[in-house]
Amino acid sequence: MPGPLEGVRILEMGQLIAIPWSIKMLADMGAQVIRLESCQRLEVYRRSTLYRDKVDGEYWNRGGLFYEHNRNKLGITLNLADENGRAVLRDLIAVSDVFAENFTPRVIKNFQLEYEDLRKIRPDIVMVSSTGYGFTGPWANFGATGPSTEGASGLAFMTGYKDGPPVQPEIPYADYTGGEITVFAIMAALMHRMRTGQGQFIDVSQAQATSSTVPEALMDYAVNCRIAPRIGNGHPSMAPHGCYPCQGADRWITIAAQDDRQWQALCQVLGKQEWLQDGRFASMAGRLENQDELDRIIGEATRDWESHKLMHLLQAEGVAAGAVLDTKNVLFNEHLKDRKFYQVVDHDPSTEMPPLPYAGQPWKFSATPAVHNKAAPTMGEHNRLILGELLCRTDDELAALEEQGIIGYAPTTPSQPPIQPPLDEQVRQGRVQRYDPDFQEQIARHFGIG
Amino acid sequence: MTNGALQGVKVLDLTHHISGPYCTKLLADFGAEVVKVERPEGDPARSMPPLINDEPGPDNSLLFLYLNTSKLGVTLNLKSDRGREMARELARQSDILVENFSPRVMPSLGLDYQSLKELNPSLVYVSISNFGQTGPYRDYKATDIVEYALGGLMYIFGENKREPLIHALHQAQFRAGTNAAGGALMALYHQRRTGQGQHVDVSVQECVASGLRDAVDIYTYTGAVRHRAPEASGDMRRMRKVSDGYLLPTPSLAPNLNWPDIVEFFDAPELDSDKFNTPTARLVNTEELGQILDRVFLTKKKAEMFYAAQKRRFIFGMIQSPEEVLADEQLEARGYFVDIDHPAAGKLKYPGPPYLTSGPPWQARRPAPTLGQHNEEVLGQRLGHSGDDLAQMRAAEVI
Repeated sequence: MPGPLEGVRILEMGQLIAIPWSIKMLADMGAQVIRLESCQRLEVYRRSTLYRDKVDGEYWNRGGLFYEHNRNKLGITLNLADENGRAVLRDLIAVSDVFAENFTPRVIKNFQLEYEDLRKIRPDIVMVSSTGYGFTGPWANFGATGPSTEGASGLAFMTGYKDGPPVQPEIPYADYTGGEITVFAIMAALMHRMRTGQGQFIDVSQAQATSSTVPEALMDYAVNCRIAPRIGNGHPSMAPHGCYPCQGADRWITIAAQDDRQWQALCQVLGKQEWLQDGRFASMAGRLENQDELDRIIGEATRDWESHKLMHLLQAEGVAAGAVLDTKNVLFNEHLKDRKFYQVVDHDPSTEMPPLPYAGQPWKFSATPAVHNKAAPTMGEHNRLILGELLCRTDDELAALEEQGIIGYAPTTPSQPPIQPPLDEQVRQGRVQRYDPDFQEQIARHFGIG
Repeated sequence: MTNGALQGVKVLDLTHHISGPYCTKLLADFGAEVVKVERPEGDPARSMPPLINDEPGPDNSLLFLYLNTSKLGVTLNLKSDRGREMARELARQSDILVENFSPRVMPSLGLDYQSLKELNPSLVYVSISNFGQTGPYRDYKATDIVEYALGGLMYIFGENKREPLIHALHQAQFRAGTNAAGGALMALYHQRRTGQGQHVDVSVQECVASGLRDAVDIYTYTGAVRHRAPEASGDMRRMRKVSDGYLLPTPSLAPNLNWPDIVEFFDAPELDSDKFNTPTARLVNTEELGQILDRVFLTKKKAEMFYAAQKRRFIFGMIQSPEEVLADEQLEARGYFVDIDHPAAGKLKYPGPPYLTSGPPWQARRPAPTLGQHNEEVLGQRLGHSGDDLAQMRAAEVI
């Protein structure tokens, strides 16, 4: 079944996460996406998280970070330093509805790919740029990473353990916030184009998009001249609200008791009826005032519980609680399995990778569901399909482009990616909590592969 | 007021709290006509802190004021027959309905997708819930901390030897709102071409789980369970304390650095040593390197170093407080903060457009509605109820 975006063609010149993630979402929902790459400048994510950490052979077709962010796209390689490569690009722009990129304005200007340039080729094109701080303004050409845009937004300043420094998660978080608003922005532009025939230029700043999700902190300062202190896992008006140790190594449960009834149910489930007699904890105000003590005694009581079991018992009594799922637990989570959130994707036989599950979409559509999944392209996988069938280049012309190195199937300078330390060493360093030598069998069993 | 990108799109907003209202705010600020339905006692977000001067009042919540710009506001008691009837009538006239009740509520009111589809086959019906409309956790309760835990983000957030951590504020709710708004428009795009509506089921847990970089792939690719990273003091990208705050000193995305450049830029001759000038050497001598860097950075000033680094194309970032965000020259140049005048709350500074566009711009078309502000305009004029009718309904606590 075609997705809701069938017939929309998107030309993507993306890298890393912000644009590739958003365009993956549109590809999942039926848009035809042509992902542009360069053999001369290898996409960084093709060099990272290699299958079984194998760095030999065509490692660039085994990069987990690339597969994660480029599902359901067609892939073409083009050398834009060459005029013949730019001519192909112009032909692709002429037949595309959307052009999406996340390079700095400096690069886009150098390649003559600004909105005004594109409009001359395709007057109603929707162009979207996603940068750390925006396409315009004094910081337009500043380099940025996810942590730095999260840092600039105000979010990181507010986050952290009580009395500690700011803390950020181990992922470039603001890239996803930027990516989510990009999906919305492209769709709003396509709705406008459907009604008026007009395209537009969309300028996403990942930092600005993230600031838009912390309005209460920004307005609290603007209006009340106040900056709330960092409170870890606490909540300004709810206690208990925290993360408590459970049975096993690095096992935790989160609990948020939203009112007196949930507090009473929590005491019952933990078998601590005596807490109900403690006057300090009788009201939400009292629990907030004594939350350090509360967190301490709850943490002692949860220590002997298995985190999932305790979560189910608490939820059965209507208490908001969740086991802290590690990266394996989340993949194997029973609820996500029931909702088919992780979706199994086949890889090209040349990669010698088995079918693997990847994260799906944050929504389910009843009439036009996400399309059947296809893995991210191997390098240059669709060069011939796109140039031949879409742009009607002849076999001779294709051969000439290959000859000139305008299109290709491998990086021109394939420097070896960094070699990861053995997993035992990574466990010792603490970067890895544990590992399963039989992970392939476990995954195959859980997802019914093979 | 100019027309927005979503001009002519009619949205029935049955949402409360944060996720749903952020979704409909995005639609409204870009030009959709959004009718927000509140229970007669009001959206509970009206009392969510922070409040203006800490004073309670239905129009004093800064979050509520931000989340409900550009919307028309009516009150309806959906537990009454008349209230439900009017909600059905509004749904019949709408392109999009957004709700974020727990999954049992709408069916119990007879306002579930199957019932409303009969009335309006082209309706795009968007549900936002903690865990989605199906599955064993469907009715589980959650706040952000539970979503972070079950969405897989919490485990890789925080210090290696301490309890996992969550973001401050209400990130999971905002992400769900953004994804719901994007999903709503994809379904609307299909509806405009085919006339076919559908149910869009957004799960907050899946919003968190759909953006974990390669945390899960590391397991499927190598069998390793990623952990909260330990304090590797010599890690060049690690956040460092400077004399007036915190810096994120990423000299490069690649492990190879031009070390003499770094030594010169940090103005730290003690780093000019074989102990530190290759990636491998830096790993071996990580503790000593970390101690030197900690000491060096403490003598630096945040903004000064940030700008100097950018001049050399080092990808430095800085941690900005809300005060600094409000004074940020980049946001200023992009016209980010806007003044909005509210009849009860007065004129306040709000965060503005989440992105810029050359097309019809973002615009806060009106301030957040006071409770029932547009009952007359929407229920009276549009649905054709007389003044007497409305008075009667008010007496019966329907509105």
